[in-house]
Amino acid sequence: MFRREFLATGSALGIAALAGCGSLESRAIDIPPVLDNRPDAIYVPGHVEGMNMVGIETTGEYDVALSYSYPHRFWTVTGTDVERTSTEEADSVHLMATVWDAETGMILPEVGVAIEITQDGSLVSEETVYAMLSQPMGVHHGANFAGLEDGENYEVAVRVGATASRRTGAFAGRFDEPATATFEFTFDQETMREIRFDRLDRGGERGAIEPMPMGAVPTGVAPATDDLPGKAVKAMAGDIRYVATVVDPPAGIEDEGPYLALSPRTRYNGYYLSRMGVSVSLEGNGESSTEETLTRAIDPELGYHYGTTLPREGEQGETASREREVLSITVETPPQVARHEGYETAFFDVPTTTLSL
Amino acid sequence: MEARPEYDRRQLLKAAVATGGVAALSACLDVTDEPVPTGVDDPETLPERQHAWNDRVRSDEHGNVALPRHQSLLYLTLDGDGPPTDADREVVRDALRTLDRAYERSNEGLIYSIAYSPSYFERFEASLPDGIDLPSPRRLSPFEEPEFDTQDALLHLASDRADVILAAEAALRGDRDEVNGVTLDAPLTDAMPVADRRSGFVGPGMPADRQDVAGIPDGDPVPEAAPLFMGFEAGFRGNQATEDYVTIESGRFAGGTTKHVSRLRQRLEDWYGEQDFEQRVAELFSPAHAEAGLVEGVGENLGSDSGLTPEMIEKVREHASEFGRVGHAQKAARANRDEDGNVRLLRRHVESTDGDVAALHFPSLQRGISAFEDVRKAMNGTDLTDEPAIRQRVNNGILEYIFTTHRGNFLVPPRRLRVLPRPRPA
Repeated sequence: MFRREFLATGSALGIAALAGCGSLESRAIDIPPVLDNRPDAIYVPGHVEGMNMVGIETTGEYDVALSYSYPHRFWTVTGTDVERTSTEEADSVHLMATVWDAETGMILPEVGVAIEITQDGSLVSEETVYAMLSQPMGVHHGANFAGLEDGENYEVAVRVGATASRRTGAFAGRFDEPATATFEFTFDQETMREIRFDRLDRGGERGAIEPMPMGAVPTGVAPATDDLPGKAVKAMAGDIRYVATVVDPPAGIEDEGPYLALSPRTRYNGYYLSRMGVSVSLEGNGESSTEETLTRAIDPELGYHYGTTLPREGEQGETASREREVLSITVETPPQVARHEGYETAFFDVPTTTLSL
Repeated sequence: MEARPEYDRRQLLKAAVATGGVAALSACLDVTDEPVPTGVDDPETLPERQHAWNDRVRSDEHGNVALPRHQSLLYLTLDGDGPPTDADREVVRDALRTLDRAYERSNEGLIYSIAYSPSYFERFEASLPDGIDLPSPRRLSPFEEPEFDTQDALLHLASDRADVILAAEAALRGDRDEVNGVTLDAPLTDAMPVADRRSGFVGPGMPADRQDVAGIPDGDPVPEAAPLFMGFEAGFRGNQATEDYVTIESGRFAGGTTKHVSRLRQRLEDWYGEQDFEQRVAELFSPAHAEAGLVEGVGENLGSDSGLTPEMIEKVREHASEFGRVGHAQKAARANRDEDGNVRLLRRHVESTDGDVAALHFPSLQRGISAFEDVRKAMNGTDLTDEPAIRQRVNNGILEYIFTTHRGNFLVPPRRLRVLPRPRPA
């Protein structure tokens, strides 16, 4: 019911959640320059934009939402290199696709997404779009698209690739087929100009704009510590919050022994941090296990996480007990997701941290 | 205004094969009047292997084969559901023999092959011999949803002369009854109507001349010397299977081969806009090529192979973690060598601007289709995506820029069986 209402309103959802964050200025589309003196951390950007929803479609196993906003600058990440993608004069629109499991509503951060735009069967544009992280929009895929004309109607096909992360629990065997969701989209500059655009007084401060309420569309907030199975524990390193839990191995894990699921999320908004390289070592009773790289996985109970099986109790020493074990967590590769403003300097040089299991 | 005959001629010829049809042909003939070498009196004297093109087309000084500059792919379908009739066979036989007599089998005349799909062989009660590796086309990556080409046959025409392609097509379609001085009794399309036509081109200067299409960014980024839109040479002798190697050696179809043909749309905005030359080299060849500066310009310094060493192929995983990128050639090569180090695929891809969209037509010849499928899977690099910088399509060779729209599989029979063959020919 809610979803239907949401779609019916055309849903210029704006940024009501941001009231109080900053002063509302004119709806200028002159995007202010990147702030000087950005901290090497999550920070409040100098401005924030809303978005308009095009629609939600179900295709194959996926629910796909398509939304848009003004063309954006963003930063791509390759290893530890960060490269800015500036907006170009020809850019018409920033298109965003959010993909989640139609059954559980869980966001799928690691599907590959491409967007194809056609008009009357003729190709207008097609791009492989990047996995992105944005403070108000959370976990999504997006890119700027050029060549759209004001007032024209287009068909936008969002092509979802199979998920690249390991699937465990009830997700084992799922999400291994691609699917395409198709939307009708009218590019109307006047409608786009009405999308909220605010400059923020707090720009540059450490912190983050709150997630924008998007109705039925998930933003990719990781499950709360209490909502994870097992006895979840937490730690913090830089702007990453870790929650770890040890459970019986879920379906899809062949090795026996307890299964460690580590769920890194952003400080402040708690968004999933996907596509990282993370390694851990386990220390207990003076012995330490060899360092192990965790495997990226998606699970309906554990959410998107980084997992491995642990040596059985006792295997590391006669009296080793899980309660006394200390997990040391190292980020080997920072999250390989493109960053919207306020995230582009964060999650690099994350100190190794420990937590007690 | 001053007349610019040379410019106009170039403009006209550049669009002729892509446009196709009788009007393009007559416009083409207005500006081309050099004679075309004629064919043989007795088609039986031509070689058995339809796919033996290499010694009949140009090669460069390094022995790399230069494919004919103009090409056309005619996808043909028989009417009805059953097997072809004797009358159909007569039409096809006569049409092909007419082409053999009309044109020298070379890049200066016309070189062609006809191939048949699994759907075609399903028209018969008998099935193909077990040794023939010809599955129906299928999805070959975790992110593509191509259309499958299940037409009955594929007639692939190639020539350095645009007017030859167009004249041959006009005759085959019944738009003219004579081709290079030889009369055609009945058009091929009486038996097999054209279900789809795709055109292609390849060779230095041609992509640069045709870069004003969707998929290539403004600013003419494609170098004049490049034979392909991505700006580099390809198909080096050392990285291609030989025609002998891809030939089916025994059985009823001995002398034939299999052919996979895909169409890949190219979207090169980010290729030319976001990536610099070194990054393009890293993504097309390997990060080691970029680091050592092995590729100059369009790769004219490379000679007869791509410079890919067994060490680079082996180190793809190290490259993934060290450079955050892996190369297309490097990945694909992992499956494109047999135990003895022989290359398994003979790739004959050409560019296309059909529908004013930059695309590749990618015919690949191999003894069995599974060889192609293996190489494509290696090219997907899915096994490398556990390195977080390597994503399903980003930093993963050239997957970000190419979009597979069509796939089809075909059997190229030897010449003696080229006319609507039965699955168990005598």
